[in-house]
Amino acid sequence: MELLTGILATTLLAGGVLALAALGEVLAERVGVVNLGAEGLMAMGAMTGVATVTAVPSPALGFAAALVIGALFGAVFALATATIRANQVLCGLALTLIGTGLANTIGRSYSGMPSPAVFEHVRVPLLSDIPILGPALFSQNVLLYLIYIILPVALHYLLFHTRHGLNLRAVGENPAAADAAGIPVGLIRFAYVTAGAALCAGAGAYLTLAFVPSWSDGMVAGRGWIAVSLVIFAGYRPVNAVLAALLFGLITSIGFVGQARNWPVAAPFLSMLPYLGTIALMIVPVLAWHKVRRLMAAPAALGEPYYRDLR
Amino acid sequence: MIAPQDRYEPAPGTAPLVQLKGIAKYFPGVAANQDVDLEVLPGEIHALLGENGAGKSTLMNILTGIYQPDAGEIVIDGYAREFASPLEAIAAGIGMVHQHFKLVPAFTVAENIHLGWSETPRLASARKLEARTRALAQRFNLHVRADALVSELSTGEQQRVEILRVLARQARVLILDEPTAVLTPAEARALFKALREFASRGNAVIFISHKLEEVLEISDRITILRGGRRIATHDAAECNHRMLARLMVGREIVLADMRQRPVGAAPRSAAPVLRLESVSALNDGGNTALHDVTLDVHAGEIVGVAGVAGNGQRELSQVLTGLRRTKSGRIIVDGTPLQAAGAAEFGELGIGHIPEDRLRSGLAPSMSVATNAVMREYKKPPIGTGGLFRSRAATMLAREIAKAADVSVPDFSMPVRNLSGGNQQRLVARREMRIAHKVLVAAYPSRGLDVGAINTMLRYIVELRDAGAGIVLISEELEELLNLSDRIVVLYEGRLMGALDNERIDVEQIGLLMGGRALQQEAA
Amino acid sequence: MRQGLRLQRLPSVQPGVALGMRALAIAIVVLAASLVLLAAGEDPLALGAQLVTATFSSTFGMEDFGLLVIPLILTGLSVAVGQQVGAWNIGAEGQFLLGAFAATTVGLFVPGPAVLILPLMIAAGALGGLVWILVPTLARAFAGVNELITTLLLNFVAALLVYYVSTGPWRDRVGMSNSSTARITVEVPEFWGLVHWGLPIAIVMALAAAATLAFSRWGYEVRLSGSNPSAAAYAGIAVRRHIVTVMLLSGLIAGVAGAFELAGTVHRLQGGISNNFGYLGIMVAVLARNSCVGVIFTGTLMAFILNSGIILQTQGITTSAVLAMTGAILFLTAIGDELAHYRIARAGARGS
Repeated sequence: MELLTGILATTLLAGGVLALAALGEVLAERVGVVNLGAEGLMAMGAMTGVATVTAVPSPALGFAAALVIGALFGAVFALATATIRANQVLCGLALTLIGTGLANTIGRSYSGMPSPAVFEHVRVPLLSDIPILGPALFSQNVLLYLIYIILPVALHYLLFHTRHGLNLRAVGENPAAADAAGIPVGLIRFAYVTAGAALCAGAGAYLTLAFVPSWSDGMVAGRGWIAVSLVIFAGYRPVNAVLAALLFGLITSIGFVGQARNWPVAAPFLSMLPYLGTIALMIVPVLAWHKVRRLMAAPAALGEPYYRDLR
Repeated sequence: MIAPQDRYEPAPGTAPLVQLKGIAKYFPGVAANQDVDLEVLPGEIHALLGENGAGKSTLMNILTGIYQPDAGEIVIDGYAREFASPLEAIAAGIGMVHQHFKLVPAFTVAENIHLGWSETPRLASARKLEARTRALAQRFNLHVRADALVSELSTGEQQRVEILRVLARQARVLILDEPTAVLTPAEARALFKALREFASRGNAVIFISHKLEEVLEISDRITILRGGRRIATHDAAECNHRMLARLMVGREIVLADMRQRPVGAAPRSAAPVLRLESVSALNDGGNTALHDVTLDVHAGEIVGVAGVAGNGQRELSQVLTGLRRTKSGRIIVDGTPLQAAGAAEFGELGIGHIPEDRLRSGLAPSMSVATNAVMREYKKPPIGTGGLFRSRAATMLAREIAKAADVSVPDFSMPVRNLSGGNQQRLVARREMRIAHKVLVAAYPSRGLDVGAINTMLRYIVELRDAGAGIVLISEELEELLNLSDRIVVLYEGRLMGALDNERIDVEQIGLLMGGRALQQEAA
Repeated sequence: MRQGLRLQRLPSVQPGVALGMRALAIAIVVLAASLVLLAAGEDPLALGAQLVTATFSSTFGMEDFGLLVIPLILTGLSVAVGQQVGAWNIGAEGQFLLGAFAATTVGLFVPGPAVLILPLMIAAGALGGLVWILVPTLARAFAGVNELITTLLLNFVAALLVYYVSTGPWRDRVGMSNSSTARITVEVPEFWGLVHWGLPIAIVMALAAAATLAFSRWGYEVRLSGSNPSAAAYAGIAVRRHIVTVMLLSGLIAGVAGAFELAGTVHRLQGGISNNFGYLGIMVAVLARNSCVGVIFTGTLMAFILNSGIILQTQGITTSAVLAMTGAILFLTAIGDELAHYRIARAGARGS
């Protein structure tokens, strides 16, 4: 029974990293900008979290610092892609290189050591005493509730039940129509790309302050890319993205269990599961039938720069 | 024109609703507007007439805040205004229905209506928006389906959504850009009725068009633009076809009947050179776009295909040129049925294609002029001998084509998108004419061109016909079809509604066929 | 109402301007790095001089430099070839690893004379790279799945695979290392000092690719398919087939790169053998504007940058720092490419 609790807890933690990054990516892609720098942003956020906490032992501050760093990098990225309208793919790849490179360089002095301060577990009275589910669901760090409940619900509501959400979705679908309707396309793209980048960096901090409480070179290991793929698989919807992240948390968790219990499959192969799983999930929906394809369709103008005064 | 008793008479001394003074706007290589004045009074329907490229759309884009003028003033209700963005123009009561609708296809009608609107409630669920939309539709007497996805609507319905959107925002000046291009004659009449009602309440309509007939029918005053300048403004009552055409083009136009054959022209063949036999085909979405179409094309004749865009014309031109597989039926060329032929084979058989969207299908914009010019002949010697691609031979062929097309190309290695639209179209046309010894399929060849360029295109087509090829001319300009075709067929919802010999054609009849079933619905 | 000067966006970029922007991007990043070094108390000019001497004045220096050029030209070529049909092969890193892996398999387990085994190793490497890009290729061609992410994810899988074999079943039992395989005895013969025949072969491959694209009918069809698939289809070209062929070719080239790195430079399969060459290949291709001839030059440039990083490691400039700088150059290049479209014109000009 402890095993189940353990699996559940790890699933939530591992999935939480992906979920937060995926939510950030959803924001960016919903306004039409594909941010391939998620991996680099996560690395910067992860390193920033540890660095901050080493100076001031407050995980909340570490998380906040990561958000700020993410917003900073995100703003530069947004300036390049939404304002100057440079190629989004190249800028994203560049951001990943810059982010991982910088994080590894600056973070060398923190490498390998455990984080001085991590997010404490918060026990919800009564609920956390439920067998199996209790400790896993209700005795976790605070961020988990933010990631799995508050953010997805809030974002879903924002996107699909408010006037502002309607306008920002239009920016991603048909910026010319949005512009003609008086919506400030450039501003919205800038704002949401920056916000999304902040969340991606926050996911990195979550990694080093809650999940694997330490920083080491290259520890992000493609999670940013998995998050980007999850968004596609989830049809660009916040709640689905979080659920997909949960699924991946489970896959990762099973891999850990396998390693701990010396399953006949070698550890590296278990570690391959999340990546192979992502590829499979990217291919499967496309082979699905037409109606599903339309529901999961990307915002029509995703990846295209918008020029207004152009012949 | 509005009947005198229905007209809105503004009180004396009322300022014009809209005044544009000395507007200028420049783009790379072209002065889109220069020193343009325009005045629109309350209660009037004011037409803006001009050929493609005359500057009508640019002027209206300035009035609606999409472009900023390089010079001049905008005056609304007597107050000078600057519109830094479309939002400001909308707030001033200017509403525009564009030629290419600014709707979001993935959204519902209700969502589109409420887009970017300050009156949309902050908390807006789908149900709430739909209810509000229905109320609006009733208030303005425009029939729309609030919960339908825009991508599923016909163009006529989409236009109604656009108009409702604009009216809901209290527009007092309604600008329509070539609205009847996508309507059947019956739908156009309904639109005119709605416009007259709108104007009679003290509002104004600016009606952009290049069609002389309807401009004379609907407007009170007409302003003619040519080459970016305002040429004249007249009361519609004082105008006639010839005068307007002359003002539009700047010279006398003789609308020659191009159906007359010169001496020595190839006669119409007895047997068809290309035949579609009970052909059905699916569109990209998997639905049937062509139902059981049977069409004969003879050498030395022009078959016109009329119909509102979106009724299967695209799929028809693709089937005729091998770009789309048929679901059933046969394609017979010179008596031999074709087996599994693709676009390359069709080209080799002598079937040319001037595509609807030259930049999307007919040219690779970022590649050189030479590369584009040889697209149909690169496998043949001297360019394609021995599996090679000889670029010098390619450049020589490109030179020949450019000469025939009367396009001056300073450098054949420059990207073809650097050429103007008219030059590109002529290049594509002559490239296709070289290989089209049996059939040429021309889809909307005059779209986006000015009158001079259109005349040239049509001359090419006639030239090809006289040389003995069969032409399929797909067009939305009835005048053009009547001018050129020996026979006219009408496409409606993927079916061919009757073939009419041009001698005995009546525009009303064609209009009825174009409307097809729609007409029956309105009567019910 | 605006008078005076205004900004216009042209549809095409002049090649000269684009190259100038790239030079500017590199200059800016180098300048920024120098400023950072200055702030850290180092002397950038002295370091620069040290770099030049270390690289060019000794045989060792030139050989190290030359050995880096080979994989970079090849991975750059791989990415540039993929871009001819508009495909983003970010998986060159993984295909490189699979190429090295496949070559190792032959090298360790297939007996025979070197004259037979060596070509077999390279061929295996080619096959390895091709196999590794196969699934993303088919997914892209038949299901429209974005190859950028699928190829990239396989990089991580490849790294895990190589890590597994080199620390597990194929671990070198004889030597001291426990993270690489035994030394592979079959080697690529030397061409100039330590620099092996991979260098001239890489250059020939790049030139051959360029010639094929420019002078063969297939090359014309490929270029058209990449530039505008609709127009290519209209001309009767089997676009999908060309996309598949070219993407497989791209993977193949990256696999060959891995095989040469193994058989010519490193001689053992180990975890870091791919050394970010795959990702740097993207940079090489972008700097060369996807020109197959251009990657020869930009690959050399990139090798110099990478080599500098290695030389200056003692001064605290790690590979990570070099990667970050590379990213910055890419970023500025992307911005520069967009800005290169604009020109300043006088209002009211009836320009050409």
